[in-house]
Amino acid sequence: MSLPLLPTSVVGSYSMPGWLERLKTDYVLRRISRLELDEIHDTAVKAAIKDQEVAGVDILTDGELRRDNLIDYFAERLPGVQIDRASKKFYYDFYDSVVRGKMPTAGIGIVNDFKFLAANTERIPKFNVTGPHSLVKRIRNEFYKSEEEFAHDIARVINLELKELVRAGLKHLQIDEPYYSGFPEDLPWGVRVLNTLVEGVDARITLHICYGNRYGKPTWAGNYRYLFPTVLEAKVHQLSLEFARRGGEDIDLFKELSGKFEIGVGVIDVKDHEVETPDIVAERIRKAAEFVPVDRMFILPDCGCLHLPQPVAFSKLKAMVRGAQIVRDELTK
Amino acid sequence: MILHINHVQPGRSESTSGVVATLLSLLEAGEIDPNTLGHLNVHIDWVQYKSNFREPVTIRRVVRDDELLPLTDIAVDLRQIQQETMRKALSEALNGTGPDSLETPKRTYLESFTPMRSSIIWTFNSVFWKYLPIWEEASGKGYEKALPGGHSDGHNAQAIQDSIVEFWEQLRKVDSQHLLPPEIYILEIGVGTGERASRWLDGFKALDSERGTTYYPRLRFLAGDYSVATLNRVMASLEAHRDLSSFVEVDAMNPFKSLSHLRYKVMLITLSNVYDNLPTDELVLRDGKLFFIEVRAYVPSSEAARICEKYHLPAGDLERCVQKLLQDGPASFDSLDQGMGFWQEVWAAVRLEERLVSAHNLSEAHLPTGMKPSYIEGLIENAPANIRFQLSSGATESFINTIPLLHPRGSLQVSDIFVEKLTDYLHGFRGPGKMDGSIVNWVNGALLEVVGAQSGYDVHFAPFRYRKGSKTSVLYTTQRE
Repeated sequence: MSLPLLPTSVVGSYSMPGWLERLKTDYVLRRISRLELDEIHDTAVKAAIKDQEVAGVDILTDGELRRDNLIDYFAERLPGVQIDRASKKFYYDFYDSVVRGKMPTAGIGIVNDFKFLAANTERIPKFNVTGPHSLVKRIRNEFYKSEEEFAHDIARVINLELKELVRAGLKHLQIDEPYYSGFPEDLPWGVRVLNTLVEGVDARITLHICYGNRYGKPTWAGNYRYLFPTVLEAKVHQLSLEFARRGGEDIDLFKELSGKFEIGVGVIDVKDHEVETPDIVAERIRKAAEFVPVDRMFILPDCGCLHLPQPVAFSKLKAMVRGAQIVRDELTK
Repeated sequence: MILHINHVQPGRSESTSGVVATLLSLLEAGEIDPNTLGHLNVHIDWVQYKSNFREPVTIRRVVRDDELLPLTDIAVDLRQIQQETMRKALSEALNGTGPDSLETPKRTYLESFTPMRSSIIWTFNSVFWKYLPIWEEASGKGYEKALPGGHSDGHNAQAIQDSIVEFWEQLRKVDSQHLLPPEIYILEIGVGTGERASRWLDGFKALDSERGTTYYPRLRFLAGDYSVATLNRVMASLEAHRDLSSFVEVDAMNPFKSLSHLRYKVMLITLSNVYDNLPTDELVLRDGKLFFIEVRAYVPSSEAARICEKYHLPAGDLERCVQKLLQDGPASFDSLDQGMGFWQEVWAAVRLEERLVSAHNLSEAHLPTGMKPSYIEGLIENAPANIRFQLSSGATESFINTIPLLHPRGSLQVSDIFVEKLTDYLHGFRGPGKMDGSIVNWVNGALLEVVGAQSGYDVHFAPFRYRKGSKTSVLYTTQRE
């Protein structure tokens, strides 16, 4: 399937319905079974896919509705990571997770979730994986000598799963590293383990870096200047970045990339419930186009839509798609 | 009949047992209808505020879809009730014949039944703040003198100094992480006279200089209040810090509305004694079933007649005169003295009749804007089957509309009177009370904790340790790690 100029995509998560939050919590508190929760997830994911399709998004995800948060989906699956199941009462909290020995080599079992997505859409599916740097910030390390060493082993294990995903048909992969912005001093080793993670993975790879979206608000402040020049060493095709909420204040930095990466420009503020108009989106794209070649630009929200009510999330995606179309029409006149 | 003893006031056991003995005696004498008895809840309170909206004995009916249910509440205020009149008052209340019975000509109503937060008493409250200088002049004492202890805890010198040091250390920490923005925003909502803000900024400037840092010039201090007159007064108080101060008209219940440009940018937000003066609704659980409170304000008709006569107003014209007062202020009367006298006496006389309205579910319960029913469900999940508590509607809305202003490393500090655990509602009266011309209500801190947690913020409380016997505590909110 070919992509238009200024292709649209999502960062990953879609609006989490209140009823699903309750059911997820019911599972955490052992009130419903895993089987029941899986069935519920299948239904919710189909609805999320449908919303993205109707909104007109070109590259879509499963809305990450199977995930409690960006960490636990992986912490529960990583071999050798121990989870204290009693440590959370609300699904969105983080489990207390710990690694106490070297992680064995084993699959992490996320391929079926991708296959479900691919089987339920004719659009281009994208699958997201939380990066090793972010994972080591939340999984307690009682074995490895350093965070980098731990992250490197996580990258080694997940890398095998990424190759399985590619074998299952994955062509668009996204690595989420929101914790880079909170720990800019880690960036040199953060990029090294990222490269280990994606080594030999034959897919279009996007690196998403934002300022956090926990509970629908930023966890960190600052600007993207810290990424340079280290980020240039990242073996990825695209950077997906948060600009809408921050007023596109540092998008000029990315002019320096000289075509090294495609840029996924965040044009939808997911921390504000007010829906942008297509014209506002178009204006944000035009501003970005002053610094990023349009044939290297993808159009996305700033981050996941998890915390937005469904009508708001849906309307924002529609506005994003229409805004992209406005600029596309201007460019192809 | 179920007896609820809702107070643990030392030295009141005699009057409590007096009420119980009187009830039993009425029962023995056949003065309580057996049909009423099976549905009767008697609440014995000790109303903390000397001036309040309660009669010594209050009857509360229960309705569902305008149908009167047999369930009845009788509330007794031990602080007001007299031994000599107790039997008569209880008997009349129980038989619906006393001054507290419904639709009595002995009351001059100022409104129809309405959710508590919409009651006319809140209009009185707003008018008080609007005309505060006139009220202070008429009463002969400043607002702060009317507070318990005669001054605001917010002005405590040691508390201010500790706050300064704490904030400086917070800045230092954020600075060491290279996350400190060039402009450091501080917001005080409900800035009062500006005295606290002035002392705080003086102290911060001195500490900054003493410790060799340059944070002070980077401060952007926002004095927020809904009253322009107050802001003008504060402007003078902050003359020495004028270069870094701004004065912003802020709706205490929705600070975000006028400050949305500062979303996620404010390092420190403080409020002192603001939440306790914002409108609230109340919820009641009876045997696990949910009710909300509706009220209608009234003045005992004898008082209404006396007040009208005293101020040379047409008899029976009380309601119209109250409306005039609330719309046009005390100066709209023949003389300011007449207007002020009328206002103060009506305020002293105004009472609230209450009824419990059966709610089919929480969505009928007038939840504060932005609050999901699941927050309340979570709060009452393990609550006692019989409890009455405040929704602290205004405070909760204010909280919800303030936290989006916080910088990721910022903190919100609220000094007020908080009910920190829901079960604390079982052990004492939490308002509303009258404070000079305004209203005072305790704030449901347990609910704010739930709201904070669901929004990704940690909320905790610390006692205000600078004044012995102070009921104030400080709510601290920071973004959850």
